Amino acid sequence: MIVLEWLFLTIAPCDAAEPWQLGSQDAATPMMQGIIDLHHDIFFFLIQILVFVSWILVRTLWHFHYKKNPIPQRIVHGTTIEILWTIFPSIILMFIAIPSFALLYSMDEVVVDPAITIKAIGHQWYRTYEYSDYNSSDEQSLTFDSYMIPEDDPELGQSRLLEVDNRVVVPAKTHLRIIVTSADVLHSWAVPSLGVKCDAVPGRLNQTSILVQREGVYYGQCSEICGTNHAFMPIVVEAVDRKDYGSRVENQLIPQTEQA
Amino acid sequence: MADVDAAKPPTLSEQYFLKGKDKPVEDVKTPVATTVEETVVETVKAVEESPAVESSDPVESSETNEAASVESAEAAPVAASSEATPAAESSDTAPAESTEDAPASEAASGDDSPATEEASEEAEAAEDDAPKIKLETAPADFRFPTTNQTRHCFTRYVEYHRCIAAKGDDAPECQKFAKYYRALCPGEWVDRWNEQRENGTFPGPL
Ligand SMILES: [Cu+2]
Repeated sequence: MIVLEWLFLTIAPCDAAEPWQLGSQDAATPMMQGIIDLHHDIFFFLIQILVFVSWILVRTLWHFHYKKNPIPQRIVHGTTIEILWTIFPSIILMFIAIPSFALLYSMDEVVVDPAITIKAIGHQWYRTYEYSDYNSSDEQSLTFDSYMIPEDDPELGQSRLLEVDNRVVVPAKTHLRIIVTSADVLHSWAVPSLGVKCDAVPGRLNQTSILVQREGVYYGQCSEICGTNHAFMPIVVEAVDRKDYGSRVENQLIPQTEQA
Repeated sequence: MADVDAAKPPTLSEQYFLKGKDKPVEDVKTPVATTVEETVVETVKAVEESPAVESSDPVESSETNEAASVESAEAAPVAASSEATPAAESSDTAPAESTEDAPASEAASGDDSPATEEASEEAEAAEDDAPKIKLETAPADFRFPTTNQTRHCFTRYVEYHRCIAAKGDDAPECQKFAKYYRALCPGEWVDRWNEQRENGTFPGPL
């Protein structure tokens, strides 16, 4: 167990940044799984090219030696090698491009009908979330602000600079539509474990679709430089069971309707 | 065969496919096709609202009567329409009985109060069984297939206001547009547009 921890192979899924972390955070959506897979695909080619190029380089240095090989060959043109070093890189590029485009377009797709819509509105420097699927008038809506817990009073177990006072609660295993926008300057709504990074542009609504596959708490941060407190407006998404989501929204809706 | 299939890692589209769990969402997918269901659902909602409003403002006793009367007036035509739709359906299936059905639906629309009461009781019974929050939202729209959904929100807002302009303030078929634009538009935008409409400076085609 300790050895595993030394090797950074912790058993619990990693949904927030860790000290000395090298890889991505663990995937909670098919999107993030796709990103990680693409990363591994590309790394395969990357290492092959690295090995091949280093081999050529070392070999050249080894043989180009004033004692062993005082007179180097004076080749200035070779058609065969020209063709080879044009064709092979383009084949490699194709093998990288195909999965890359497949992932890109599947991320773009807005075809799936979502079950809930959540609006994430960036402010300097906090976020507002609106759940308006259950409204029956323009005035009433389930809206709350999400501020970072200040550095001097996080509770034990809370991540410094990552925890917020009001988390975004979403149902797991449900298609979600996140509408990202901003009320002042550019922000970005990014959660690594969910494979989401969506810019918040004032006056524009950007949509991303996510499907959280397991329940958990996912952490992210603002990813578009937005001013002094850019580093202090994190995002916390809490994915819960569908039933729990229903009762939670209900409990929050009832006091709101009584107020209205 | 099965083992081979199981060993294969699921593709991205397969991972996205939720087995069986998508049923309520799929119902939402075709809101236009299932008009009968929708009207019934909306009646239920309208009827639910009326007792809620009455109970929620006991302080403003002077306004209670007004509110109640407005609510009942709203609920009445909707209830009548829902009563009429099953009758119309049955007349389709059995044309011989059509003469009997016509007065029946008229009678239903004639006395509203027992019909609404029945409907509200049914609604309460249904609510206790199912979770009260129905997970549904504005469906994906093929006119707006991109990340940028600004026009989607705006179009739904305009569609709603054109709908109520054409069919009256509380036409039940307009309510779905209201749900859509509320789901898509930030509250701040809606407030601003409402203000602009009052001042007559709204930039859209109304
Ligand atoms: Cu920001």
